[in-house]
Amino acid sequence: MTLNLCVLTPNRIVWDSKVKEIILSTNSGQIGILPNHAPIATAVDIGILRIRLNDQWLTMALMGGFARIGNNEITVLVNDAEKGSDIEPQEAQQTLEIAEANLRKAEGKRQIIEANLALRRARTRVEAINVTS
Amino acid sequence: MSCSTLPQWLSSKPSITQGFLFSFQNPFRLLPCISPPNGPFQSSLLVRCKLRELRQRIDSIKNTQKITEAMKLIAAAKVRRAQEAVINGRPFSNTLVEVLHSINEQLQDDGLSVPLTEVRAVKRVALVVITGDRGLCGSFNAGILKMAETRIAELTDLGLDCTVISVGKKGNSYFRRRSRAPVVSVDRFVEGGGRFPTAKEAQVIADDVFSLFVSEEVDKVELLYTKFVSFVESKTVIQTLLPLSMKGEVFDQNGNCVDAMEDELFRLTTKEGKLSVERDKVQLEKVEFSPFLEFEQDPAQILDALMPLYLNSQILRALQESLASELAARMSAMSNATDNAVELKKTLSLAYNRERQAKITGEILEIVAGADALSEQP
Repeated sequence: MTLNLCVLTPNRIVWDSKVKEIILSTNSGQIGILPNHAPIATAVDIGILRIRLNDQWLTMALMGGFARIGNNEITVLVNDAEKGSDIEPQEAQQTLEIAEANLRKAEGKRQIIEANLALRRARTRVEAINVTS
Repeated sequence: MSCSTLPQWLSSKPSITQGFLFSFQNPFRLLPCISPPNGPFQSSLLVRCKLRELRQRIDSIKNTQKITEAMKLIAAAKVRRAQEAVINGRPFSNTLVEVLHSINEQLQDDGLSVPLTEVRAVKRVALVVITGDRGLCGSFNAGILKMAETRIAELTDLGLDCTVISVGKKGNSYFRRRSRAPVVSVDRFVEGGGRFPTAKEAQVIADDVFSLFVSEEVDKVELLYTKFVSFVESKTVIQTLLPLSMKGEVFDQNGNCVDAMEDELFRLTTKEGKLSVERDKVQLEKVEFSPFLEFEQDPAQILDALMPLYLNSQILRALQESLASELAARMSAMSNATDNAVELKKTLSLAYNRERQAKITGEILEIVAGADALSEQP
């Protein structure tokens, strides 16, 4: 049995092909998905998605969303997804530093919510690069 | 003009003809030059000036026409791309609606509370006003801003506070300059950057709206944008963005559902060499997915994850619709401008030709008069 992975963002289809295995970061921790997984619905956290194609591992940064697994079909709906190989390391690092600085400066409930989100996104992108390399 | 004035010049200042007749076999060339050499030249310039002015205007109109024509074509091409963007987003929104629907059915009975669906007593309203980045598109920007003004006045009359999130350069400059009562605070200026709206831009707006709503700074968020109906028609609409309804439907300010169950798809086609638009209705297909879905987390958490996605896709859709309307408005505005330019060019060419002919007639009259005068001399 093969597993089909479909990663959708509002703009485009990021990934739609067969995979051997994936590791998905959900709200309740990472889960590995192999063929013939039980049908589940899960919230996807801001975090990395690891995809195994034969013996090769790929990484993708996911910006939070939702996943549905069943019938050997995985549908991941996320706000934004970037392949680890497509992210510019320097740019990601810079964004992370800016996000960290912003969080330190943040005042009030609202700014903290915003800064935290930005920081988590930035961190995920950096992580996605570091895993591949 | 030259037709009526030339005979007068002929009688009062005979030397004036010299300038005109230089290029012909000049019967006067042996006569002494009475007036200063630049005198006749200047007066002939006076006549030519009118002609030259006309020619300049015709040229400039020609240029303007070229520009407007090009802008029209560019807008037409961009509408096509805006359409593609809508199509690319379709798998996502379809799956999302379907998932939301099936989950809602499973969770129907549980009394869940999700922050984004929480209905509170409204004290303060945020208005997301989506305008274009550029002008030259008819009343597109004015229309949406007028609508925003009306809505602000309405809300103020109801004793509600409102804040604006302005999207697009035109709206930004309007709200920066705005000094009219009631004074509204602008929460954030977002610029589209003239590109096609992507999830990133929608994300910026969604984040802002999300934090405003969750931190209870506002109790309701409304989206004001221009809905694309056809190339000649677009409609400004107000849509309630937050609180989201659990069913995943969107309501307008009166509580009527504005969510399209039949997803509409507009398509640009060429019909008899002219651009035309076709709007297809695409019935959303409900794919039966495994009904026994296990929830990895608490259903509330899953809805929590889904609702921002839905929010984002709603905003993105509004941005895309707005861009499509802007481009369509620009297309028709530029098409009108081109038509006007053609018309004006025609009128001016007519005037120019008339003028030129009058000048030639005048010159011939002078030659004949001059020849007559010579033959009478001996």
